[in-house]
Amino acid sequence: MYRKNKGIHIFLFLLPALALFIGVLIYPIFASVHHSLFEYRTFTDPGQFVGFKNYTDLFTPQYDFGKAIINALILAALSVFIQLPLSLGLALMLGKGIKGERVYLSVYFMPVLISAVVIGMLWEKIYNPIYGLVTKTFEYFNWSGLPAAGLLGDKKTALLAVFIPTIWQYVGYHMLMMYAGVKSVSPDLREAAMLDGATDSQINRYIIIPCIKPIIKVSIIFAITGSLKSYDLIKVFAKDAYNCSYKVPSLLLVRYAFHNAGGIASAIAVMMIIMCFAFAIIINQMFKERD
Amino acid sequence: MKKFKRLAAILLAGAMVFGLAACGETAVNTPASTADTTVSTSTDTANTDVEPAASSDEKVKLTMWCIATEGDSNRASYEKAIADMKEKYPNVEFEWEAIENETYKTKIAAAMAANEVPDIFFTWSCAFLGDFVKEGKVYCLDDTLAKYSSELPESMLGNTTYDGKHYGVPLTMNIVALFANMDLLAQAGWDKVPENYDELMQCCDDLLAAGIIPFGCAGGETWCVTEYLEPIIQKTIGSKALNDIFVNGATYDNPDVAKAVDTFQAMIDKGYFDPAGASLPNDDVKQNFIDGRTAFYQNGTWNCADFSKVDGLNVKVTEFPVIDSSKSKLGQLIGGPSDTLAVSASSPNAELAAEYAAELGKLICHYGYLDGCGLPAWIPYGDTSNINPLTQAVAEICANADSYVLFGDTAQSAVDKDPYLDAVAKVYGKELDGAGFIAELKQNIR
Repeated sequence: MYRKNKGIHIFLFLLPALALFIGVLIYPIFASVHHSLFEYRTFTDPGQFVGFKNYTDLFTPQYDFGKAIINALILAALSVFIQLPLSLGLALMLGKGIKGERVYLSVYFMPVLISAVVIGMLWEKIYNPIYGLVTKTFEYFNWSGLPAAGLLGDKKTALLAVFIPTIWQYVGYHMLMMYAGVKSVSPDLREAAMLDGATDSQINRYIIIPCIKPIIKVSIIFAITGSLKSYDLIKVFAKDAYNCSYKVPSLLLVRYAFHNAGGIASAIAVMMIIMCFAFAIIINQMFKERD
Repeated sequence: MKKFKRLAAILLAGAMVFGLAACGETAVNTPASTADTTVSTSTDTANTDVEPAASSDEKVKLTMWCIATEGDSNRASYEKAIADMKEKYPNVEFEWEAIENETYKTKIAAAMAANEVPDIFFTWSCAFLGDFVKEGKVYCLDDTLAKYSSELPESMLGNTTYDGKHYGVPLTMNIVALFANMDLLAQAGWDKVPENYDELMQCCDDLLAAGIIPFGCAGGETWCVTEYLEPIIQKTIGSKALNDIFVNGATYDNPDVAKAVDTFQAMIDKGYFDPAGASLPNDDVKQNFIDGRTAFYQNGTWNCADFSKVDGLNVKVTEFPVIDSSKSKLGQLIGGPSDTLAVSASSPNAELAAEYAAELGKLICHYGYLDGCGLPAWIPYGDTSNINPLTQAVAEICANADSYVLFGDTAQSAVDKDPYLDAVAKVYGKELDGAGFIAELKQNIR
């Protein structure tokens, strides 16, 4: 009897959170799948059932979703291979307990606290082809090679120019997570290794990094899923420009959701969810094998 | 079981990360009768005395959304009009909110879907408002506007009339015009604005030879590119053909459209456009024109107010010259009454809101005209002798107008607008030539 009641009590305590979780997270995913099979030219009228047409249409030149996916994957690759190593390097350096550790920590973390809109506008000024810092630096040193349209205006450089601040902003975020991991490693292990004559790089490689592997895994998942759904900073650069060379899935999703193509927007949302799940599973599998 | 647990954990984690993703015939308009009267002063229709209109003691709350933000040139006219309305309708507690242009388009669409629209809302005419009318979300203003027939010409209501019913209160009307910095033109040996296409091209060559960039165009906002491309297409294929494409469902597969696009690209290739404008927003490009970086700036006539306030800026305004005189002629203009106030069908005080919107629209139009923010859709009243010379010049252009074609991104439905603007951006970015432009739009629109 007591066991039975205990089960009911647990269920009742979990129910509010479960209801919230299903209502706010799970239901919208299923609703998106449903919406993606219809036209949804207006918010209230589903229109005709079109099956998987929205998904096939996504890859036509009209919606250009393929290009958006490629851009998001480039951003994800840059995050994993540039942003995270930078974060790890900073975390390892600061984790050693250098002088002014707290100050450095605050400085590196500061961009995370600044609104993406502010960062976007700041970098937009840096890139300004007339008075921007980049332009003026090139002029001062008489360097050539800067496109006349500026880094943001030239198709060859725009993608990288937009991704640099995107990556820069979150270096501090991942650094802080890894720093917490580094600090949680027992000092005894570090001291024992030092007594055995291990160098700093050997301590990091054989002791610290293996100890913080779960945090690195979470950072990789956050970096990749964050890249796939990146929106705010890129929207600041894109403004009201159509066909910008740095379009990403979220940018298209928002545009079509409010431009009488709700079915297409839902299909994009579903594709993004699938990709995020896929990457999360792949990364988990990769780390599991190594474990 | 362990596998299931792991999979469930991954699914739930993914769901948390991505939950938010899911929430996620008319004929060519003939020139309006008011255009002929804009430079004159009409006091017989004046209604300048502010008298309390509603006598009831009961306070009624009305709300409004618009795009007259602090930086908007129309802000002052809204503020003055609302101040007058507070005196005229003491029983109305009026709350209004101004939202940035692009954000507004998204916000109003979402609010319509959720039936959370304010009593009165700003909208663009034609397809933008038409989509809301089709959904039954907009209050019909036939009864209200009938009382204003002597002050608001029927010709100004064409863009907000659907199935013979009126749904909008027009404010000011604007056209796309070519602004020329006469001091820069003088440096290139020109003491007048070019009068035909050949002269314009020669003027651009002379400006380049003098080290001056002819045109500034904001690639960061695609609507600014249309302000160049649409007049070029119109002056190549004529108003009727362009209006048929925008409004009446004619195909884009027209070789003359391709020719016009190639003309635009030839101008880009010759270096007539400031390359720095490729990613800049309109405010920066406009400032570049004011600062004397570019000699010409083609955009809406709402800019007259701002240009006339700059000390020492010697600007003249004209229309883009005719390219193919066998199909087009001077006086064929892009623009017309587009800025509109509408009333939500779900407003609990829809009748009062309609009356309030009409009076407010009339006042915004009046003050906007006096400030130089455009030409009046309503018959002007009061002393209009101090209107800035640029607006007066625009009034003269409109007085000689042959026909108007509404802005492409307003005239076309929301569904057609996106592929159209995408293709326009590709043209400016040199990803599509004329043939590619018509082929892409033929495939994606009709």
